[in-house]
Amino acid sequence: MKKRQSTTEKRNLRNGLLFCSPVIVGLAVFTLYPMLASLYYSFCNYPMLKPPVWVGLTNYRVLIHDPVFYKSLSNTAYYAAFATPAGIVTAFLLAVLLNQKVRGMAIFRTMFFVPSIVPMVAGSVLWLWLLNPDYGLINTILRSMHLHAPGWLNDPATAKPALILMSVWGVGGWMLIYLAGLQDVPVDLYEAAEIDGAGPLQRMLHITIPFMSPHLFFTLVMGFIGAATYFTQAYVMTGGQGGPVDSTRFFSIYLFQNAFMYWKMGYACALAWILFVLILLFTLALFKTSARYVHYGGER
Amino acid sequence: MTTGQMRTKLLVSLLTLSLAICPGCARRHGPSVGGKVVISVWHPWGGTQKERLDQVVAEFNRTHKHIQVRAVFTPNDLNADQKLFTSVAAGQPPDATFVDGPQVAGWAEQGALAPLDRFVKQSGIEPHDYFAPCWQQCSYRGHIWAMTYCADPNFAFAWNKKVFRECGLDPDKPPTTIAELDAINDRITKIEHGRIIRIGIIPWSQFGNANSIFTWGWAFGGGFYDPKTDKITADDPRVVKALEWMTSYAKKYDVSTINGFRQGFGSRDQNPFYIGKVAMQCLHISQLDDIATYAPDLDYGLTYIPAPPDGEQHSSWVGGWCLAIPKGSRHPKEAWEFLRWCSHDPKGTQAVGRLQSLLPGCRTSPYIKEAAKKPGYSQFLKIMEECRHQRPVMPAQNFYMGSLDRAVDFAVYGQLTSRQALRKSAEETQAELDLRLAGR
Repeated sequence: MKKRQSTTEKRNLRNGLLFCSPVIVGLAVFTLYPMLASLYYSFCNYPMLKPPVWVGLTNYRVLIHDPVFYKSLSNTAYYAAFATPAGIVTAFLLAVLLNQKVRGMAIFRTMFFVPSIVPMVAGSVLWLWLLNPDYGLINTILRSMHLHAPGWLNDPATAKPALILMSVWGVGGWMLIYLAGLQDVPVDLYEAAEIDGAGPLQRMLHITIPFMSPHLFFTLVMGFIGAATYFTQAYVMTGGQGGPVDSTRFFSIYLFQNAFMYWKMGYACALAWILFVLILLFTLALFKTSARYVHYGGER
Repeated sequence: MTTGQMRTKLLVSLLTLSLAICPGCARRHGPSVGGKVVISVWHPWGGTQKERLDQVVAEFNRTHKHIQVRAVFTPNDLNADQKLFTSVAAGQPPDATFVDGPQVAGWAEQGALAPLDRFVKQSGIEPHDYFAPCWQQCSYRGHIWAMTYCADPNFAFAWNKKVFRECGLDPDKPPTTIAELDAINDRITKIEHGRIIRIGIIPWSQFGNANSIFTWGWAFGGGFYDPKTDKITADDPRVVKALEWMTSYAKKYDVSTINGFRQGFGSRDQNPFYIGKVAMQCLHISQLDDIATYAPDLDYGLTYIPAPPDGEQHSSWVGGWCLAIPKGSRHPKEAWEFLRWCSHDPKGTQAVGRLQSLLPGCRTSPYIKEAAKKPGYSQFLKIMEECRHQRPVMPAQNFYMGSLDRAVDFAVYGQLTSRQALRKSAEETQAELDLRLAGR
């Protein structure tokens, strides 16, 4: 009896693995192998067409003395530090507004969601025009209000803020997540709070936000990872250079330039692993501390 | 369903799957259609240039019974050559490819190209058949790696006669020195409420920062590279002077304002020179056709690039696309025929010249005489005859271009002095070059 069962189990296991094999093979070939290969290459001098030559820690040693590495790291940190919170706050406020019971709400919701499905490159080209210092819509409005019209992407001081401004435009996806979350907040809690005399602000702070904390946390983590690997928009809008004066040379752009402009695949792999470890550490830190500010329903 | 049936089904689906994820395994050799060998050629052009190239290719195919060229668009600028590299690394390169002049040495050093010496010899092609910088651009470490498809004499200096007249300047007297250029610029440039309405010239806007510093650096009498000692000389005092002059415009008009002004324009019908927003500009040979198409009424003249009295008079450098055979090409013989025809053959170079409005690098081509009669082209031909420079032929050239781009950026934005910026560029490029040379 016992033996028979184990053959069934064995067969089930085998069939199960067989059915899973496309995914397992896919992950192994297209994710695991490239990751391990890139780890190996990060210890090599590898110009792509010649075989990689083991150089030990040289790439990492060069890296810690590379001023552009630090510049690109600080650019990325700046972007992540501002774009992620700005996106979360905007998306949350939009979601709260779009959760009201107003006529034609479906139209408003669609309107605010649409920008997030515009392809990144198309959106970037569009924003190039919006941000054009002479003819752009933004500066035209600023001038009509007699405000200072900045050079946006042509001025190192405003290039990153311009990109952050643009990132806020595409928060429709997060807004949708919040909207779904807001509809899950039990109405009776609001009613009880109202009876107890809680104002709108108190209800927001003590009911809505705690209930929304898993959603907010999810977008914080995803937003941070997205910002840390920020590439497309900056690449398109600065012609792949990361100018002016390196102000938009983000980490991924520097990595791309090393890999595909300068053929320093080994160095680029080292950069990629540094980025991976940094993201990993930061995300772990977020998760470790999350117990303090994230509340899951049904848990204590 | 019996277990046997199930097994067969599973096996079939797994087989199908393995075929689906292995599309590259099938065809190793290129197709042959009706006894013709089909070869693929990667080219970088879209738009009108692509249509014109297609005509050149059609002409080749018409005159060659046994070869059929299939032109495939593959983006390639100095920022993006990963496509060819990955294809060579994967053993699936095209049969021939276009390669930009300054890429040749780097691609050769990296092992992406096959040397052409044997073919060149067989076809009886001699170096002096070509304009000297064209041949030099394709020679590296004693071998020939590419054939010039088109020679771009960079640049002719163009000035807008209408704007000159409006500003009370003699429309037939373009600047010949930098001092004259500055004086004319001051008369032309108009700024209202902090916005530029019209400007004489934007020194760093001559086809990118790096090409601008090459152009002015040579005009000021400087040099960028010493091939004998493999030394990068970006911080040559005369190149520094050129950059200081370029930077003076950034100080005079505020760099963000100028670059904002530039951002509003496009390359063709919105080109600032064509619409009189920028009165003087270095002109690329392909723009003659553009102007005829998009700005037929533009009243302009062409001359040599102005230079300081102690600089290099009639300064210019050669650019342009070349054709090469990647390492691992499946039909090198047929590919070579395409290279030879486009680059050296009287009929072929004529087709390239006539159909694409480009100048062949082969000076024995009958098209050279033909072009001399066309308005505008004669000036470019004169420049070509006197041309002495090509961008450094060394394996870190793409790095150098990127580095010079940044150096100009840092200088015009006032983050570094011209000397500091160029010294930094020279140092980092030298380190990169040494690394590549050591990695042989």
